[in-house]
Parts: sequence; C-alpha cells; structure tokens
Amino acid sequence: MALQDVCRWQAPEGLCPQLPQAGCWAVPSGWDPPTFLRAHGPSLAHGTTTLAFRFQHGVIAAADTRSSCGSYVACPASRKVIPVHSHLLGTTSGTSADCTTWYRVLRRELRLRALREGQLPSVAGAARLLSGLLARYRGLDLCVATALCGWDRSGPALFYVYSDGTRLQGNIFSVGSGSPYAYGVLDRGYRYDMSTPEAYELACRAVAHATHRDAYSGGSVDLFHVRETGWEYVSRHDAWVVYQELREQEESVEEEEEGELVSLARPASQSGSRASRYPLEFCAETEAL
Amino acid sequence: MSIMSYNEGDVMAMKRKDYVAIAANRRFGIQTQMVTMDFQKIFPMGCRLYISLARLATDVQTIAQRLKFRLNLCELKEGRQIKLYTLMSMVANLLYEKRFGPYYTEPVIAGLNPKTFKPLICSLDLISCPMVTDDFVVSGTCSEQMYGMCESLWEPNMDPEHLFETISQAMPNAVDCYTVSGMGVMTHVIKKDKITTRTLKPRMD
Repeated sequence: MALQDVCRWQAPEGLCPQLPQAGCWAVPSGWDPPTFLRAHGPSLAHGTTTLAFRFQHGVIAAADTRSSCGSYVACPASRKVIPVHSHLLGTTSGTSADCTTWYRVLRRELRLRALREGQLPSVAGAARLLSGLLARYRGLDLCVATALCGWDRSGPALFYVYSDGTRLQGNIFSVGSGSPYAYGVLDRGYRYDMSTPEAYELACRAVAHATHRDAYSGGSVDLFHVRETGWEYVSRHDAWVVYQELREQEESVEEEEEGELVSLARPASQSGSRASRYPLEFCAETEAL
Repeated sequence: MSIMSYNEGDVMAMKRKDYVAIAANRRFGIQTQMVTMDFQKIFPMGCRLYISLARLATDVQTIAQRLKFRLNLCELKEGRQIKLYTLMSMVANLLYEKRFGPYYTEPVIAGLNPKTFKPLICSLDLISCPMVTDDFVVSGTCSEQMYGMCESLWEPNMDPEHLFETISQAMPNAVDCYTVSGMGVMTHVIKKDKITTRTLKPRMD
C-alpha cells in the first residue's frame, strides 16, 4: 500500500503475532497433541443449538444458553452469540474457550482492516479471514463451528465457518448437537420473504424444540437480529416456557392469530440461577390403599 | 459414553420413621436424544413395596420382569407376602448370578414391611452389594448432584407432606444440573394406610 511505503511501516509477519505459530505448540516430547489432550486435557465444553438464517429484513441469529462440560451443566445462562462489530455477529458452537479466543482475534483483525481500508470488511471477507486463521491450526483439535451473520454492502449475508477451514455461504445454518432438530423446524417454516415477527417466532420455535430433544441444549433462547442499521439483541426467553406455550398453541391452533406467539414477552430469568425453589406443578395425583 | 449412561436414569428414596418416599425421573433417551418422557422406572412389587431401577433401559425392564416372576413363585410357595429384607436378598441374588457379565442397572428398594410396617430403603450396586441407610439413597447418572441436594435438604423429623416436598425439590433441582436427565419425575409416598403417587413437571430441556 502506498501509505505503508511512505511511512515505511511493515505489517507484522503473519497474523496474530501474540499466539504461537502453527507447528510451534509446546508439547511433551514424544506425544501427539490431539492424543495428549484427549487423554490428559480438561473436559472441554461442547454441545449446543445455534441457528442463523437470512431473510429479506436481515439475518436472524438464535442460540440456547446451556454450557455443558461433559454431562454436567456448567452454566445454564451463557451467551453463545458474540458481537464482532456493529454489523456482524457470530454464533458459537464447539469449544467455548476456542470460540471466544478466536472471535477476539477476528475482532482485532477486522478492526485493523477497517482502519487501514477506511470501511468495514464484507462478511465474506470476515469469513475468509476467520477460516484462514483457523486452517493454520488444523489437526490440533480446535473446535470452532460458527455462523457469521452480518449486513454489508451486498445486503444480509450469512457464512458458516468450521475450524478445519470450511467456509460456506447459505441461507440457513444450524450448528451444534441440537441442529438436526432445529433444521427440521426451520425447513418447515422458512421463507425468504417472511416478516420480522414471523422470523422471530420461527427462530424461537426451532431452538425450543431442539432444547426439548437434545440433552446438551437448554436454558433460555437468545434471539438477535442484524439489520441494515446494525445488530440488535431482541430477547431472551426461558426455553421451557417457550416450548410449553408452543405446545398449547398447537393444541388450539385454529383460535390463535398469525404471529401471536411473539407475545412471549414474558421476561425470563436473566440470572439463570439454579437450585431455585421449584413451583410444584402436578400432572396427576392418585392415592391407593 | 459408557454403557451405564447409554440410557440414563435417576432414582432416589428417602426414609422417615413410619413412611418412605421414592422418586425416579421419567426420561427414556438414547445417549443425547430424548425419546419419551413417560418411561416407567418404579415398579410395585407388592403392597407397599417398590423397586426402582436406573441406567440401561433394557436391563431395567428385564430385571423388573424376572424379579416379579421370582417374587410370584416365592409368594405362591410361602403363602404370604414377602418381607423387605427377603426381597433385597432376592434382588442381590438375581444380580450376583450375572457377576461376570452384569446387568447394567443399580436398583433402589423402598417400602414398608407387610406385618410390622417398619420402613426400609436400600440401594444395590450392579453386582449386588446392598446398602441399607436410615436417611436417603440415590442411584443413577447424576448421583453426585442428587447426593448434594439430599444432603442439603433431608432432615430427620419430617411429616409425609414435608418428605414429599423435600424429595420433590431435591430431584428436579439435581437433574437440572445434568444434561442427560430430567423430563418429569414420578414420586410415591408410601405410608401404612395409603400410597400417594404424584407426577411432577419440571424443566423439560
């Protein structure tokens, strides 16, 4: 670049100079890193339901909030949709530590690019950058499965990036252990020309159904919307409450109006506290003898 | 995933001076996928006698059926209802027969003796080691969480409603901390004159 030549400023060799270069990880001699981590490493967080889809009014990103460590629920109220900049979000799935770290790196690189070029990079460019960063660490058991949702000069854009370097563009993506259940619901209800309330309802419904069936998904449903003006955190609803309401709605579907479900405006518990006193709701009570 | 957590299951039983309570979750799932929410894990083995089995679902059903067969034969031969310690020995025998290729299930027995109405709760491991306690027993995939809840909530002098309330708080809160668990809880409170069965609806996620 001309300015670089004038100032005689050298871009640093490779990306992320603070992180060790691929191939330079310190490992005990004689051990293969993936085997070592599998045998001796901590049990890493996995398992989730995240989804994103493109429609005429932008991109919707939704996720559950359960962070599981093996079979233990480590956090019932975590945040799985991470903002990158004002017009870009990423849904995260896989190892939480990897996702948060690499998203910080991506945010840094995009900011530098924006300063150098004078405009935010496109979503396609951000996806290419992330997949390039991750591909250098292929074979070292990084697990980052993410959908980048943004609005750039070409309109709403959605890319799926995986830590082996996969980068795919599409209209609907769902990632995580609960994704088969979410895909079933999304495939049924998705249309590009949906209205915004319909899109919110579809996303909540898909995540709620996935949390019901999948063991590793649960907690609440986080909903984000990326518009032309930037991203917006729409809501967080308790997944169990959403599912119950959906079941009730389905049972009386003729009497409900279109789009009524968006009135799930009951604020869910933000603290995600556990071991709270259960309201005892009985299905049945019988006495014998 | 080990065979013991292929189909998960969680059971607990609590005891008081004259009554017992037994609870089990109702999920039947295959690894992470939930299949049904109404799987029976508590089986009546007589008047005021319940056995509950957790873990591998096929063994849960096999043991319940084989035990019922042996129990019926025993009651026909003896002409009277089986006592609790005898039932416990019968279960231990059934499990130890398969010592070197075991049934992958850990039973919990709770009930009142037919004549004396003395309560008993016990649990057995998968190769028949019995453990009789005076407060509570737990068994299943989230046993650590259940132990924590029971240790916190169990008190020595509880009336039947308080005992039911305790077991109904301990069980759902324990399974909430565990991913592969939950989907409804069935409880039985067994007293001398009646058995109260309730189904709870906790978080279904």
